[in-house]
Amino acid sequence: MKSLSFGVAAIVMAGSVQAADMGAVDEPIKLAINEWTGQHVTTHVAGEMLKAAGYKVEYVTAGMMNQFQALADGDIHATLEIWSSNVSDEYAKKIEEGTVVEIGDLGLDAKEGIAYPAHVADLCPGLPAWEALKDCAQVFATAETLPMGRLVDYPADWGTPGADRMAGLDLPFKAVPAGSEGALIAELRASTERKSPLLITFWQPHWAMSAYDVKFVDLPPGEEACFTDPAWGPNPNAVNDCDFAPSRIFKAGWNGLEEKWPAAYEILSNYQLSVEDQQPMMGAIDVDGGAVEEVVAKWMAENEGKWRPVVDAATK
Amino acid sequence: MSASVDVLPVQSARLTAGSWAALITLVVGAVCLALEPIAPWLVTWPAAWVLPATDWVGTGLAWFLNGIKPVARLFSDIMAYPMNWANFVLGKTPWPIVIGVVTALGWYLGGLAMASLGFFGLSFVLASGYWAESMNTLALVAVSVPVALIVGGAIGILANEIPRLKSIVQAVLDVMQTVPTFAYLTPLLLLFGFGPVVGLIASAIYAAPPMARNVMLGLERVEHEVKEAAIMSGGNRFQQLFQVEIPSAATQIMVGVNQCLMAALSMVIIAAVIGGFNDIGWEVLLTMRKAQFGESLLAGLVIVVFAVVIDRMSGVLATERQRHDTRVVWAILAFAAVFTVAFWARLPNPSELTLLDPVAQAVDQGLTDFTLTNGAWLDALKNNSMFYVLLPLRIGLDQAVLPFTWGFLWTPAMSYGLFAAGALMALLMAWRGHVTGGLTVLIAVGMLETGIANLPWPFVLTGAAALGWVAGGRRLAVLSVVLLSTILVSGLWERALLSLYLSGAAVFSCAVVGGMIGLASAVWEPVWKVVRPICDMLQTIPLFVFLIPVLMVFQIGEFSAFLAICAYAIVPMIRYTRHGLVNTPDEMMEAAISSGATEWQIMRDVRAPYAAPTILLGLNQTILYAFAMLVIAALIGTTGLGQSIYLALGQADVGLGISAGAAMAILALIADRMVQGFAEEKRKALGL
Repeated sequence: MKSLSFGVAAIVMAGSVQAADMGAVDEPIKLAINEWTGQHVTTHVAGEMLKAAGYKVEYVTAGMMNQFQALADGDIHATLEIWSSNVSDEYAKKIEEGTVVEIGDLGLDAKEGIAYPAHVADLCPGLPAWEALKDCAQVFATAETLPMGRLVDYPADWGTPGADRMAGLDLPFKAVPAGSEGALIAELRASTERKSPLLITFWQPHWAMSAYDVKFVDLPPGEEACFTDPAWGPNPNAVNDCDFAPSRIFKAGWNGLEEKWPAAYEILSNYQLSVEDQQPMMGAIDVDGGAVEEVVAKWMAENEGKWRPVVDAATK
Repeated sequence: MSASVDVLPVQSARLTAGSWAALITLVVGAVCLALEPIAPWLVTWPAAWVLPATDWVGTGLAWFLNGIKPVARLFSDIMAYPMNWANFVLGKTPWPIVIGVVTALGWYLGGLAMASLGFFGLSFVLASGYWAESMNTLALVAVSVPVALIVGGAIGILANEIPRLKSIVQAVLDVMQTVPTFAYLTPLLLLFGFGPVVGLIASAIYAAPPMARNVMLGLERVEHEVKEAAIMSGGNRFQQLFQVEIPSAATQIMVGVNQCLMAALSMVIIAAVIGGFNDIGWEVLLTMRKAQFGESLLAGLVIVVFAVVIDRMSGVLATERQRHDTRVVWAILAFAAVFTVAFWARLPNPSELTLLDPVAQAVDQGLTDFTLTNGAWLDALKNNSMFYVLLPLRIGLDQAVLPFTWGFLWTPAMSYGLFAAGALMALLMAWRGHVTGGLTVLIAVGMLETGIANLPWPFVLTGAAALGWVAGGRRLAVLSVVLLSTILVSGLWERALLSLYLSGAAVFSCAVVGGMIGLASAVWEPVWKVVRPICDMLQTIPLFVFLIPVLMVFQIGEFSAFLAICAYAIVPMIRYTRHGLVNTPDEMMEAAISSGATEWQIMRDVRAPYAAPTILLGLNQTILYAFAMLVIAALIGTTGLGQSIYLALGQADVGLGISAGAAMAILALIADRMVQGFAEEKRKALGL
């Protein structure tokens, strides 16, 4: 709800407010470059928009989990793709301190879920219906999890959503934390190449979704009642017996951003990017081996209608 | 020493210190086992007894860090200048000049061989397309190493000047080297702010101890006559130190410089996790995130090249005084300059070079083919190791033996049978005169039945105390118990046991396999020719690179972590075993040969006993390496202290990170002291 009202407010603001001050155009605005390609695309598009508005932009590599201290200190000025499902406690602390401020949703429609590479449907007929997993658990069993099936869960520091689902739905699976994103990808890759069984907690947009033909298991919809009311859903005795709650992807900035570069703040606040735009660019980079700068420049040239109005609204 | 005195009267009762220690441990273990059903708190430390130590550490540190933050930030700002200069110089210098300078330096230090090493090494870096990132990494090393050298040198001199500080300094150095870097990255980030300076400081912390140790060692070994001559010639203490003692310790100090460089280089990569700098470590992380083995290996090899070049060149600096013709140096430099000017417009942008991409892809494809064709037996290998070795070790036979692992269910009767067999064996050994051995067998049987992760804490504490007592006397025993107790009350015990289990299994395997490889290398030169470069590579390549192939073949889990740890920790075992066996003094060998001993007898009765202290030192290094790798292995899903540290890094939880890091350092430290104690005893027994 909060995010929705914010979105509306942002649109109203953009409509009514006339051109904002440019602010300190001589100093570069530093944008965080995190560890994944989608974020690189998101950030470079935003950076190019700022450049088009007349700003200097610097891209700074920063660990996703560790960037918030830098953001609070003003060493980095904005980070543009934070996943609500995967944000550290530190972010909440900084928001509370007021040193970091949220600057609206990115508009990227993300989905998380229990997933499997397409060939696994042959090993466990009945997929994508989640009920099929009840009888297939043996197929997914490994030395560490016997007699239960194995679910590869997110790295421990991202929480244990997969384990929560298995407990909620009372499925005979043991969740094994992956340790890192690379480990998740290595599992997907090995499974696809060897045609071995794999059940994994995963998300989109992600380049691996198409590269390894990953499908989601159909789970009961992740409504709010599911997480609070045990009676809701197929398992009357437990919460979490449903799909993931829809995750929100948003942007955040240093608290001095608005004052120092008012127009840039407005551009970044109103900046939106959709899965349909981001995913092909990710493919062009990760699968076809293109450079981020070139792929983004090409998209910017071809889709001026999608970003120019946001820049103009803030500067003209 | 006190231990042996205490033991004298006991020996008349035909029990040695070792037997007593083992007996007490056994009794405590047996009592715990018997009481377990009625007193579950013996196995799991009750949550109610846990002190919120991690919170205290967190709050205390946060207060402290905030206090010294302004100073740290100032330091950070100052360090930004040399950092920027180094970056500017290395980044903006055209690549032919950099290659020329390194080649020229190589010539000056070591002639043709060294020059070509520099030339081909850097050409490889250029061809890999990681030139810009490499220069960033090099800039970081170029600034962090002087810092480490100054700090390490100062610590070393300080310990030399004030002998009372020596033991404290040793302990501090141990802590600096054993607390995993990941654990202190978060506080560093808080202190010094975001950016390359954090990586710089982290690597300086890790790289300073080897320098300090070598300075101490070097100054200690300066001969008395030399020192006296300096005093007699009337120099004050400052002059004595800097004009006489340090120059005469130069060779040893240069060894320290060499070690310092290598350590800094390896740590720069790990510090890349927090970002802030587009260096090679960041590239390795990015490629690892995509599970691209070929590419990450390529990026990793760039580091290996740097390590080899820096190691060999600084190694020459440490050993040889001879320098080569400077005219050739100028010629190389002139050629590089002319080349740059002549081809200025046509010099390719090094970031766009992709000469080695096909190789990387081929390696990647090779890995795929390998897993495809060998999948079946590799899976069998993994399952068998899990079922029959790792699982029983972790959770004990009584829980690991199940119908779908071993084909039958473990029953209490089997436990009794196992104990009976153990007791019989122990009796047999005691009767043959090996009392300690027999008792140890019984203890081992008990541990196998319970599993390391389920060991009662009184048993672990007693066992540690007993081992400590035997290895290093009362002080070590007390130290072990006190340190372990801090882990116990801070609520990290279970995780610590998991870490102990995994690293213990890895160390044991490394000791056996590495020892055998070392033996083979010592006996047969061609084996060493093959093994040596592999060892070099395993030691210098960023640890992350191991993880992908292991994962691809064996998937997430303990077995993969076990293998990854072994791959790294086996190296010192091989090196030290070979070194110990090869370097038997000539006169001992001659005596053995002239007495008509066969090759095998010499190995068993002369070389092996003589090499024992060296091999024990190798074991000690293997233990430290295994703990270091444990943190990295958390990236492929282990559940011990490593995971806590990584979790803390992600959540910026200073308290948990430092506590878990300290727990890890404690385990490593105790193991280190015990092995060193045994090595010392061996050395004494050999009269060395």
